[in-house]
Amino acid sequence: MSVHRKETVMALTRRSFIEAVGIGGAGLLATPRGAWASLLEGAPATPAAAAARPLLLHNNENPLGPGDSVLEAVRSALASGGPAGRYPWDDVKQLHQAIADKFGVAPENVITGCGSTQVLRVGVQLFTSPVKPLVAGQLTYEECASYASLIGTPVRAIPLDKSLQLDLDAMAEAAKGAGMVFLNNPNNPTGALLPAAAVDRFIEKVLAASPDVVVMIDEAYHDYVTDPSHRTQVARAIKDPRVIVARTFSKAHGMAGMRMGYAIGHPDTIKKLDWEGPNALNVAGIAAATASIKDQARLDREQARNTEARRFTIDWFAKNGMPSVDSQTNFVFVEIKRPAKEFRDACKEQGVLVARDFPPFEKSHCRISIGTLDEMKRAVVVFGKVLGVKASKAA
Amino acid sequence: MPVSRRSFLGALKPGTAALSPVLVAARGREAATAGVTNPPPDTASPILLDSNENPLGPGPAAMDALTRAFVDAGRYPSNARPSMTDLRAAIAKRVSVTPENIALGAGSWEILRTSVRLFTSSSRHLVTAAPSFENPERMAEQLGVGVRRVPVDKNGRLDLEGMAQAAKWAGLVFFCNPNNPTSTLHPAKAVAEFVARVHKESPDTVILIDEAYHDYVTDPAYATAVPLALENPNVIVARTLSKAYGMAGMRVGYGVGQPRTIENFNRWAITFNQNSLAVAAAIAALGDPAHIEAERARNTEARAFTTRFFTDLGYKVFDSQANFVFVETGRHAKDFKEACAKRGLMVGRPFPPLETRFARVSIGTIEEMQKAGPVIAEVLRGEGPARASTSTRGER
Repeated sequence: MSVHRKETVMALTRRSFIEAVGIGGAGLLATPRGAWASLLEGAPATPAAAAARPLLLHNNENPLGPGDSVLEAVRSALASGGPAGRYPWDDVKQLHQAIADKFGVAPENVITGCGSTQVLRVGVQLFTSPVKPLVAGQLTYEECASYASLIGTPVRAIPLDKSLQLDLDAMAEAAKGAGMVFLNNPNNPTGALLPAAAVDRFIEKVLAASPDVVVMIDEAYHDYVTDPSHRTQVARAIKDPRVIVARTFSKAHGMAGMRMGYAIGHPDTIKKLDWEGPNALNVAGIAAATASIKDQARLDREQARNTEARRFTIDWFAKNGMPSVDSQTNFVFVEIKRPAKEFRDACKEQGVLVARDFPPFEKSHCRISIGTLDEMKRAVVVFGKVLGVKASKAA
Repeated sequence: MPVSRRSFLGALKPGTAALSPVLVAARGREAATAGVTNPPPDTASPILLDSNENPLGPGPAAMDALTRAFVDAGRYPSNARPSMTDLRAAIAKRVSVTPENIALGAGSWEILRTSVRLFTSSSRHLVTAAPSFENPERMAEQLGVGVRRVPVDKNGRLDLEGMAQAAKWAGLVFFCNPNNPTSTLHPAKAVAEFVARVHKESPDTVILIDEAYHDYVTDPAYATAVPLALENPNVIVARTLSKAYGMAGMRVGYGVGQPRTIENFNRWAITFNQNSLAVAAAIAALGDPAHIEAERARNTEARAFTTRFFTDLGYKVFDSQANFVFVETGRHAKDFKEACAKRGLMVGRPFPPLETRFARVSIGTIEEMQKAGPVIAEVLRGEGPARASTSTRGER
């Protein structure tokens, strides 16, 4: 690693750091927001924090982290009510109310978890068994399938179709006699979206053929979708006990480190999903989530920011002859036409982390998360070098 | 509120050195930072002696670290600095084991539940004490696993003889030491003998020793069971940072055992079960043992005060080695709790099968205990004699 690159990365890290804590100008220092910024800035760097950090384009995180309202909420939660030394069970109720308000539903329609992962696991726990399989895409978010294997539930893994889209016909067929169907929309790691009409038809078909099956719709990337054909399944979930919508604060809300997720559904189903109680929820995450769910303007800004950086990234690869799935998320699944491992290792050498292998496409495709536009401009220079293409003049 | 607000803004001026105390949640320390003026009595918020929390919250080192970690709140705890791996290493160092001996949990709650998942089945039951921390038995009930509850003895101590007998063919024995809610302890020798005895008759039975209150123990006959867990694949020790470390809100716990067992726990763990702020705070707290020493001393003093208070009034208190006392009030815990709550004092819930005559009271600061005393005395004086124990029906 060259000295020059180290400096570049450090400067970058520092810049995104300042963006994250929201320094908008010198005059803000007197406000609590500015105070946090100065606190963070003035903190003597620990050896770990001082070390150069690569560009993190491997875990589909929001590069800016949570918004100012979240920062403020966590600060005041830890400064007064809801202290770090107290069990936060009462605070959970406020969060459920805030989520309910956002969707115009009742708190009884809401359950929270340690990331949406906890909710997904409990779903598998409750609705599948050794004789009630799980149905999932062959390439989709793995949490449900891996938990299913852990508890001895068979998994009916349905390969993607030719356009790397979830194969809804085959999944509906496989749903017969199943316990739960997992539908990640948009789908990770492809980034592909199923239009609302297709999802509607799918759910109706599944439930008509198998009235006892539960359909778990994971809308983790909902806030990054720009395609107008998309619509959340929340309205259906609150009416039908067999449909659950899972969401997370780890993506557009920028809170992957806070471990907060939730699900919306029919009160009967939500009650069942409360299988582990709120024990895994921490007070900082609860305060952060309660503030973030109310800050739609921040989500809108984050969507716009991501859309621009996503467009830039997709265009760069397209210009260089590498198509990607039409991403509706904060990552792109690119046909790099060579093994992902080769590409990943070479990028890592140059200080850019991209995602792990996603079989059966690990010989041809790689998933790359969308950082800030600035980060992507730097990343494509590395990609260009690694892939042996001329650096684009674009942007 | 005006006081804390002022001290908050004052302390946050750029260049001010002591930034962290203002972020500290604990009422005690918050009041202390106010300095010149005494904080107005906060009549609106009750005294919380119901959940065995550390009334002061995390120490300043932990809060400083927590604050600095916010910059990585958007990163998964694997990418954040410090990371979950760093926390595992910090715990290992503190407990003098290797990271492969440590399983992280979102509170020790997760370690307890996973233990029930891993080691019990419909044909291998759970053994626990009655009363003890209910988390494992709740999990067993959810999974349809049989539970054998062995009543504590008349001094509130786990009946090790009875539990050893019940452990034959069991999948898991839950051994809470000191025991919540009775607060009593078994010395190291008794724990080792119990483990040996159980394994002589039932070698595959796993013994889970919950040391949640480890840092509050003052009895010199006590020692951690961590060495047992390192040498014996069928012993697990669970710990939490929710008690003496003052981090109940942050959800950090861990299990200690042999690497192969621990690997199993990690396989079952909730994906990313640590908040990255909590990770940073926990690492800092683990690196500040002096703070834990001070917290133990503080608790010991308030505990002695509380024990004396009840004994002076003529009520029997079990010998507490934790941050709560279990008192024979002679009346139903529900009545006692409700009467206290009406007066702004929260105490523990009923703990069957002893709920008809015993109450659990957590130890707050000495000031809180001084305030709680007259309230409790009034309740015990004024609420009439103990009620007949009719409400146990259906609870056993």
